[in-house]
Amino acid sequence: MKTKITSDQLDEFIICHKCHTLHKKAFISNGSKAVCRHCKSVLYHRDDALIDKGLALSITGLILFILANVFPLIRVDILGQEQVITILSMISRLLESGYYIVALFVVYLVFIFPIMIFLIYVTLFFLLKTAQKEKLVQDLLILLSKILLWNMSDIFLISILVSLVKLMSMLEIHIGLSFWTLTLFVIIDLYMTRSIHIGELWKIKEEIYREQK
Amino acid sequence: MKSWKEEELIRCPICEAVTIDQGKKNICRRCNSKIYQHQKFQTEKSWAFLITAIIFYIPANLYPMLVIKQFGHEEGSTILGGVIVLWEMGSYPVALIILFASVFVPLLKFLLLLYLLISVKYSLGNDSKVDKHTLYYITEVIGPWSMIDVFVVAILAGLIHLSSMEMVAGTASTAFALSVFFTIMAASSFDSRLIKEKR
Repeated sequence: MKTKITSDQLDEFIICHKCHTLHKKAFISNGSKAVCRHCKSVLYHRDDALIDKGLALSITGLILFILANVFPLIRVDILGQEQVITILSMISRLLESGYYIVALFVVYLVFIFPIMIFLIYVTLFFLLKTAQKEKLVQDLLILLSKILLWNMSDIFLISILVSLVKLMSMLEIHIGLSFWTLTLFVIIDLYMTRSIHIGELWKIKEEIYREQK
Repeated sequence: MKSWKEEELIRCPICEAVTIDQGKKNICRRCNSKIYQHQKFQTEKSWAFLITAIIFYIPANLYPMLVIKQFGHEEGSTILGGVIVLWEMGSYPVALIILFASVFVPLLKFLLLLYLLISVKYSLGNDSKVDKHTLYYITEVIGPWSMIDVFVVAILAGLIHLSSMEMVAGTASTAFALSVFFTIMAASSFDSRLIKEKR
């Protein structure tokens, strides 16, 4: 592309997040996606029901995450004694043994950031649906893009599986109810980060509030 | 109407809009975020985080990650020690996951960031065929994977604490968590505008 681009045309373009190739946006039908011509990664989707879907998924995710913190994740029997673990008991145990820095990382990466992200999603989709408080929506979108990188609940799920294998040879282990709700939460979380790009939310936001004015 | 060439356009890391590169003081036209704001530093910040991460990676490998206290005597295992034990136990997939996450990923990230930071300042012969944008993307994506070992230690220490058998976190877990944190910071403070490949 050798042509010059004027300032009102900027919205018609998109830069690939992976290889930084500049593309002119093309019209796509509902339910399909546009991919980069260079690296084949997804540039944008078109989903007319994105807000409703997003609201439903984020409320489900939030409920699942709360349930994942209420019940035990793993239960072990050691010499007749039963031990259980939840995300919060794991963190308090780290604090008791004096590992404040590790505890701080764990509490942020697997508790505070995931719950923040889903609370933001719920508020965001609700505000977009009812088309109010444009400034708050903007601030939430900026905050969301900054903390999205620091959500590690998927890595945490793999860590649970690794620790199960490590303990399997020594002890009798039972998988708790929270393990399954956490698995479902991670599936929803992965689906949402894959299918909802922040750039698309900005575009939808602009369309919604432009109609209002 | 003012117009811009393709090379002058950048992607806002906050809202993903196409916006105009204004040099050292950049404000995104859509979300009004300050992006790529450095007055004097371009690579120095990233260098500082990277060096800190490498320094923390040394004690993370030398000190025990997990200490097992059983019937009065203590036994600590380092990252590599843990991998060897798992391998001997026959859990090859898990041993490989830990090896990949705790040894391979951090080292790969250090090397990729070192390469990117050096190659944007000094020309390294004929490296125009290397897709540095993709390399940078890889460093950003694989970052969180190295936290696996820290989480495993947190889970084991939280689960097993009896008078007869107790597992506690070791010194290396703090060093390792900090090392991962600083590599992620190094990757996110890297100025991707310095990569001037044709798109």
